[in-house]
Amino acid sequence: MEKFMKKMNGVPSASEVTAHLSFLKEQAIKTVFFFTAFFAVIVVVFILLFLLRDGYVIFEKVGVLTFLSGTAWAPTAVVPLYGIFPLIVGTLLVTIGSMVFAVPLSLGCAIYISELASPRVKQVLKPAVELLAGIPSVVYGFFGLIVLTNFIRVTFDLPTGETWLAASVLLGIMALPTIISVSEDAISSVPREYKEGSLAIGATRWQTISRVLVPAALSGIAAAIILGIGRAIGETMAVLMVAGNAAIIPDPLWNIFSPLRTLTATLGIEMGEVSVGSDHYSALFGVAVVLLIITLIINLSAVAILRRMKEGGPSRQAYKPFLSTSVRDSLKRITEMIVVIALIIFLLAAAPWYLAVAILLAGGAWYFGRNRLSQKHIQTIAFSFVVAAAFIVLAILLIILQDIIINGLPALSWEFLTQPPKDLGRAGGIFPAIIGTLYLVMGAIAIALPLGVGAAIYLVEYTREGRITRLIRTGVDLLNGTPSIVFGLFGFAFIVLYLKIGVSMLAGQITLALMVLPTVIRTTEESLKNIPQSLREGSLALGATKWQTISRVVLPPAVPGIVTGAILSIGRAAGETAPIMFTAVVFSSRFLPDSVFQPVMALPYHLFILATNVPGGSTNKYGTALVLLLLVIGFYAVAIIVRNHFQNTSRG
Amino acid sequence: MLIILSIVAVFMLAFAAGCTGNGTKTTAVSQAPTASPTVIATSQAPVSITAAPVMTTALVSTGQKQTIKISGSTTVLPIVQKAADQYMAAHTDADIQVSGGGSGVGIQAIGAKTVDIGMTSREVTKDEMNKYPSFVVTTVAQDGIAVVVNPLNEIQYITLDQVKGIYLGTITKWTQITGANVPGTNNQIVIIGRDSASGTRTYFDETVLLKATPTNKMLEKNSNGAVLQTVAQTPGSIGYISIGFVSKDVKALPIWYNAQKFVAPTIDNVKTKTYPVSRDLYVITNGQPSGLTADFIKYILSPDGQKIVADEGYVTLG
Repeated sequence: MEKFMKKMNGVPSASEVTAHLSFLKEQAIKTVFFFTAFFAVIVVVFILLFLLRDGYVIFEKVGVLTFLSGTAWAPTAVVPLYGIFPLIVGTLLVTIGSMVFAVPLSLGCAIYISELASPRVKQVLKPAVELLAGIPSVVYGFFGLIVLTNFIRVTFDLPTGETWLAASVLLGIMALPTIISVSEDAISSVPREYKEGSLAIGATRWQTISRVLVPAALSGIAAAIILGIGRAIGETMAVLMVAGNAAIIPDPLWNIFSPLRTLTATLGIEMGEVSVGSDHYSALFGVAVVLLIITLIINLSAVAILRRMKEGGPSRQAYKPFLSTSVRDSLKRITEMIVVIALIIFLLAAAPWYLAVAILLAGGAWYFGRNRLSQKHIQTIAFSFVVAAAFIVLAILLIILQDIIINGLPALSWEFLTQPPKDLGRAGGIFPAIIGTLYLVMGAIAIALPLGVGAAIYLVEYTREGRITRLIRTGVDLLNGTPSIVFGLFGFAFIVLYLKIGVSMLAGQITLALMVLPTVIRTTEESLKNIPQSLREGSLALGATKWQTISRVVLPPAVPGIVTGAILSIGRAAGETAPIMFTAVVFSSRFLPDSVFQPVMALPYHLFILATNVPGGSTNKYGTALVLLLLVIGFYAVAIIVRNHFQNTSRG
Repeated sequence: MLIILSIVAVFMLAFAAGCTGNGTKTTAVSQAPTASPTVIATSQAPVSITAAPVMTTALVSTGQKQTIKISGSTTVLPIVQKAADQYMAAHTDADIQVSGGGSGVGIQAIGAKTVDIGMTSREVTKDEMNKYPSFVVTTVAQDGIAVVVNPLNEIQYITLDQVKGIYLGTITKWTQITGANVPGTNNQIVIIGRDSASGTRTYFDETVLLKATPTNKMLEKNSNGAVLQTVAQTPGSIGYISIGFVSKDVKALPIWYNAQKFVAPTIDNVKTKTYPVSRDLYVITNGQPSGLTADFIKYILSPDGQKIVADEGYVTLG
C-alpha cells in the first residue's frame, strides 16, 4: 500500500485525494475484517473470564485443591460438600470407554472406505457416516434412554442399564463420524507412490495398509482420535440421559456396569434448578471452568498434532521415527503387554465368563498361530474385520433410524405439525417448537455468517501467517472445542443475567451463533483457499483494489463453499439443546414470539422435556424426535449435496 | 433423495401453517365469548382500556395480547400448565408461557422479576424471604410424595425406616425387607432420587431422611417424570414422586405408619393429613398480583381450577 501511495505523490491533487480516500477505505475495510477475525479470541477470553467470575467464589471458599480432589459432591447436604473428583474421574472413564468402543470401529470403517470399498459403496457409505454426525445429541440420548439402557440391563442381567457402559457406547457412536471422516481423509491423502511402491515390491494389500498406509497417516489418525475425544468429553444431553448420574467412582475402577456422573451432566442437571448466586451456583461454574480447561488442553494438543502433520506431512519428508528402532520396539512390546493384561483383567472382571473365554481363546489362537498363517490368510482375516467394522457402523445407523422412524411416523400428521402442544405435550402438535427452532437457527446464522466470513477473509486475504493469525486460529480452534454446555452457561451468565436481556430468543441466537462461528470460519477459509491465486493476481494487475478483488473476484466463486458451511452450522445449531436450555427456551407457549426478547419453544428442548419430564405420550416423543431428525439431517443432506455438486462442477 | 423430499415437505408444512397460525391469532378475538362463568365472576378486568361496559367483553375483547411468564417446580407445572391451557381457551388474548426448571429456579426467577409467577413445591426459606420481602405466597394445591417401586416387585408396603435405610445405603437388597422380592433379578435395590436442587428432594430429605444425605449410589434424575420412567423400566428400583405423577406403570407403596396402620398415598389420606409425607404446593408473586397474573391465580383457586388439580391427581384445597 505504501508503495502505491508513493507512486501517487507526483500526480495531481484531485486524484491524489481520491487515492487517499480509497486508501482510507481499504484500511477501514481491513480493520473491520481484523475485528471480525479477532472476535473469536475475544469470545474465548470472555467465556473464561465470565466462568471464572462466577466460579471464583467457590475456589476461594473451599480451595482449588479441595474442590478438585474432594470425593463427595453433595451441594445440598446440611454441611455442603463440593468435591468434583468423582465427576472428573467419571468424565475421563466415560471418554476412555467411548474410545475403546469407537476407535477400532472407526479405523476399520475408515480403512474400508478409503481402500476396500468400490466407488459405488463409497458413495453410499461416506454420506451415511456424515449423516450419523447430523443426528442431534438429544435424539441419541432419547434412543439411549429408551432402547440402549434397557438392552444393556436385560443382556447383562443388571439391576439398571444406566451405566458407564451405556454412556460410553452412546458417546462412542457419537464420536464415530468425526474419527472416521478425519482418519479416512488422512489415509486417503497418503501419496499414491507409497502404496504403489509397497505393492510393487510384493506386499499384500493388507501389508500395504497395515505397514505403510496407516503408519504414514498415523498423525492424522491421532488427531482424529483426539477430536473424537473432544466430542465425547463435551457431550452433555446424551450422557445425562443414560449415565445414571450417581456421583461415585466405580468400584472396582473397571466396573463398567457402575453408574457414574460426568462434569457436563452435572451442569446439565443442576444448573436449571440452582438458585443464582449461591455457593452451589458458584460451584457449578467451577465445574464448567475445569471442564473448559480439560477440553482446551485436548484441543490444543489436537491442533499441535494436526499442524505438525501439515508442516511435515508424508509428502514432503520420509517417515521419520522419533526414537531409535530398538527403543520403539521395546516400547511397543511393553504397551502390548499392558494392553493385553488390562484386557484380561477387564474381561474377567466385567464380561460374562463365556464371552471372556471366547475372546481370550481367539486372542491366544491369533497370537500363537499368526506366524504359521500365510500372508493371504492374514489378509482375509484382517479384511473380514475391516468389513465387519464398516457393517457395524452402518447397522448402528440403521438401528437408530429405523427405531425412530417406525415409532415416529404414526405421530406425524397435519395436526401434529401445525398445532401447539396440549396436555404437557402428550397431545397436540409441535408447531411452535418447529418455528421456534427455525427462528433460533436463522438468527444464529444471521449473526455468525458476517462475523465468520469476515474473519475468514481476513485470515486468507489480508495476512500472512504470523503471530496474530496463529493467535486467531488458536482462538477459533478453542472455540470449536468448547463444550456446548459451556456456551449455555456463558450465555446464561453473560447475556441473560449480566446484560439483563433475560431468557429470550435473542440470547439463544447469540449463544448458538458463538457456537457455530468456528464452523463458518473454517468452511469459508477452505473455500477461499481453493480459489486459484492467479485470479487474484489477474484482478490486481488490472488495477482493481484489494476490496474490489475480494468482493468481485474471490468471493463469488467461493459462495457455494460458504453456503455449505452455513447450512452445516444451521444443522448443528438446530440439534443443540445444551446452549439454549438456560438461555432461550420455554416449556410451552401458545403464540409465536413477536419480539426477539421473548423466549421460544424449540424442538430439541421439547424432546428433552418429553423424554425426561413427561410420562406417557410415547408417540409424540417419537414424533418430535423424527421431526427434529428430519430437520437436522435435511440441513446436512442439503449441505452435502451442495458440496458434491460444487466439487463435481469445479473438477469437471 | 427421499430424505430431502420429506424435509422440503416439512418446511412447506411449517410455513403454510405459519400463515394460518397467524391468521387465527388475529381473528380469534371475534369468536371469543366462550369464557366460563366462574372466571367472569372472579375477574378483575385485567387491562380494561375500555371501561368494561359488559363483563364478558371486558375479559376477552381488550384486543391486546397479554403475556405472563411462569416458571419453577416440575411438580406444580402440570397443574399450572393445564390451568393455563383452559384459561387461554377462554381468553384468546392471554398468552401464558409456562416453563419448568425446578423450585429453585422458580424462586430465583420471581425474585429477579424475570417471570410473573414462580412455582415452588417447597416452602420459601427464611433466607429467601429476607432477600425478597415482597413475596406473596399462595397455596394452590396439596401433594403427597409417594414411594414407588416397579410393578414386578412383590412388596406390599414399606416403613419409613426402611425407606430411610434404603436411601442412606444401609439396606441394599430387597431380600432385607419383609415381603419384597423382585423375581428374575438378584434383588439388588436400584435407588432413584432427584437432583440436589429439587424441591421434592429437599422435602424428602428433610421429612423421610431427617436431613441426612442420601447415599452417593443414588441415581439422580432431573424431574418427577424421569424418576417415574426409570422406575417403570427398571425392575429392582425404588423412587419417590409426587402423587400427581403416580400411574399404573409403577406401584405406589402404602406406608406402615407408627406400627399401627397402613397409609396409602391417596388423595383422601393426604387431605386428612394421615399420609405422613405430604406438603403444600405454592405459587409466588413478587408483590400483590394484579391484572392477568391475579386473574390467573384466582382461576387456579376457583372450582374450575381446583377440578384441574384433582384431574391431574393432586389434592384440592379445603
